[in-house]
Amino acid sequence: MRLSTDRIARQRSAPDPRPLVVTGKRGNVERLTAIDTAAAQLGLTPGLALAEARARYPDLAVVAEHSADDRRLLDGIADWCQRYTPLLAIDPPDGLLLDIAGCAHLYGGEESLLADLIARMAAFGFATRAAIASTIGAAFATARFGPAGIVAPGEERIALAPLPMAALRLPEETVAALRRVGLKRVGDILDLPRAPLAARFGDHVLRQLARALGAEREPLNPLLPIAAYVAEQPFAEPIGREDDVLRVIERLAARLKPMLERRGEGARRIELALFRTDGAVRRIAVATSRPVREPPDVRALYVERLASLADALDPGFGFDLARLSVITAEPCSPEQIGLGESSEDADLDRLIDRLSARLGARRVTRLIANDSHIPELAAAAVPAQAGTADAGWAAFRRFRAQVELSPRPLRLLAKPEPIEAIATIPDGPPVRFRWRRALHEVIAADGPERIEGAWWSEAGGPARDYFRVEDKTGHRFWVFRAGLYHSTAQPQWFLHGTFA
Amino acid sequence: MVVVRLPASVSPSPTSRGGDEGVLRALKHSIRSLEAGGMVDAGAIPLGVTPIDATLGGGLARAAVHEIAAAGESAMAAASGFVLALACRAHPRAVLWIVEDMGLVENGAPYGPGLDDFALAPERLVTIAAAKPRDVLCAVEEALRCRAVGAVIGEIRSADRFDLLASRRLSLAAGSRDVCAFLLLAAPGTDASVAATRWIVAPVPSRTSATGPGPPRLCVHLTRNRRGPVGSWNLEWNGVERRFDLAPSLSQPVAHAAFDRPHRAAALGA
Repeated sequence: MRLSTDRIARQRSAPDPRPLVVTGKRGNVERLTAIDTAAAQLGLTPGLALAEARARYPDLAVVAEHSADDRRLLDGIADWCQRYTPLLAIDPPDGLLLDIAGCAHLYGGEESLLADLIARMAAFGFATRAAIASTIGAAFATARFGPAGIVAPGEERIALAPLPMAALRLPEETVAALRRVGLKRVGDILDLPRAPLAARFGDHVLRQLARALGAEREPLNPLLPIAAYVAEQPFAEPIGREDDVLRVIERLAARLKPMLERRGEGARRIELALFRTDGAVRRIAVATSRPVREPPDVRALYVERLASLADALDPGFGFDLARLSVITAEPCSPEQIGLGESSEDADLDRLIDRLSARLGARRVTRLIANDSHIPELAAAAVPAQAGTADAGWAAFRRFRAQVELSPRPLRLLAKPEPIEAIATIPDGPPVRFRWRRALHEVIAADGPERIEGAWWSEAGGPARDYFRVEDKTGHRFWVFRAGLYHSTAQPQWFLHGTFA
Repeated sequence: MVVVRLPASVSPSPTSRGGDEGVLRALKHSIRSLEAGGMVDAGAIPLGVTPIDATLGGGLARAAVHEIAAAGESAMAAASGFVLALACRAHPRAVLWIVEDMGLVENGAPYGPGLDDFALAPERLVTIAAAKPRDVLCAVEEALRCRAVGAVIGEIRSADRFDLLASRRLSLAAGSRDVCAFLLLAAPGTDASVAATRWIVAPVPSRTSATGPGPPRLCVHLTRNRRGPVGSWNLEWNGVERRFDLAPSLSQPVAHAAFDRPHRAAALGA
């Protein structure tokens, strides 16, 4: 509730004693959207027009709202809250939902988890209202409208009854309609007959009520994918050196290994999350081309990945928690892991993984053949980690033998480059052309090989007449004319590739 | 001070004069292995062109670095072709082509159907793009230490990035396994290097005919050879055997083949 004002207060270099309000345009009026504690004590409320607030208290610090900054801050806090549970969702504009099922005992029970969370948030400079309940609805209602704290299982009715109707997360018009008939608190509708209520106010009211009371399940939409395997290590003394981080990675990987082995799986995508003492979270992911579970392999990937980070691993005052999660796991048979010795293929894959981790997966590629007659589409470079068993070259060879395809260049330019060319006869090869400012006199040419554009698509382009030409000095090129003479007024020539 | 320990079997004996030949051979062998930095001579890759193989002493040294420079920026395609022909003779394992981003833009990316025409099955090739020349050298060194790699091609646009230190590192890495490293340079390098051979490749006009350009022809200069003399040859691509042959000395036949000669007619089965 104080997210915006806390953000502004945190960014200030010196404390400002004046009450702080954040304003934004609502309709045509500048209204207060958030207020700090001092302003609240003066009796200001969000939604008040700024002019009125100023009339009552001229000495206000007024800041324009910035919802993008607020959202970024909330994302950052959500990242930090991952230390409590991996299952969490953002409840805009200023809330977070944490599913702490099975996590509370790690902090010595729910009370101490709640106390720890509030204390740490306060240390960062955020006023927090937090509640724990068995349902999302009850926790939301208690945190925002109730006394905060813990709602024991089965006591949702008692906790919700005195709260205002808005606590049920209902649209404003529904709340207003309920208020018009005198139903102001949740307790007022708890025991009303269901059918007339639904007929009059829609079944949304009943569903929200059922969800808050736990009669209906409400799914949490988690912010991050849930990792299949997680190992984490908190540190009493924050660590900062890269060597230490790598050692921790290896130790965490060693803990993941038996879990993976038990289910016969290996990791294809691994993420390392480093929680900095000041709340920032650094996530570094690596991918592999075959399932891995050996700790030294995981470590080797991170050695490359850390070496290639554009911004070095900035530990600040150190990391106090490291978590290694396997985002994607795949079944892997024991021979893929290699018992003692490893096959050559595995060696190559390991090399590809290391290079991909260092240079980026898109930079390490294999060539595949596509079923296309357009030269630039006929072959494609795909990330080598994607791993394709049959790259389609066998089919390409059959096709080439069938149609007696004329020779293709050894190197193909990413994009055909326009050239200035002169041809003696309209449909003939060029006699000379200028490419990259150098003039080439053609002494021999083979062609044309007519390749039709993708006529079925809007951006298909015209037909191309390809020629294999050789210039006086022996350079061999693949040039084409886009468009035919009789159909195009001014056909354009391009150079597409070079032969040995 | 270098001490050469002779094998006991060929130790010189004052009585036999015939042993001298053997001693000399053993000494030469020891010196050669010392020059190779204590590494084993992993053998040679024959190019299949007799005069070149003779000059190289059997073929291109395995487990070594070879520099192949294009005569100019425009000769890059010819140099790529020569490197590929060498690389696929080296070993039937994977070939890694490591190239700068700029090289891909300037000279084009390896094109699968073209490679397939030439000599290398595209399945064998892994292309790696690196942002900086440093990354290229780094990746080449890394790749040379992998058992599953048959040959590594590193394409560097400016030769001054490839200094003596880098070349020494690469040749040590290449020597640790029997992997060939080929450095493809856009311009001939002048710096000192420890490369086993250094070549300059330029395209030359092919045997053109009315149907267009003939098979690719290159002029290769061997400008440095640690095992023997240097030389210069004209090569022509043999599309059937998938290797380079020595080109006939004239680029064009002086006269058309005479079909009316008796031996020609006999050869044609008339």
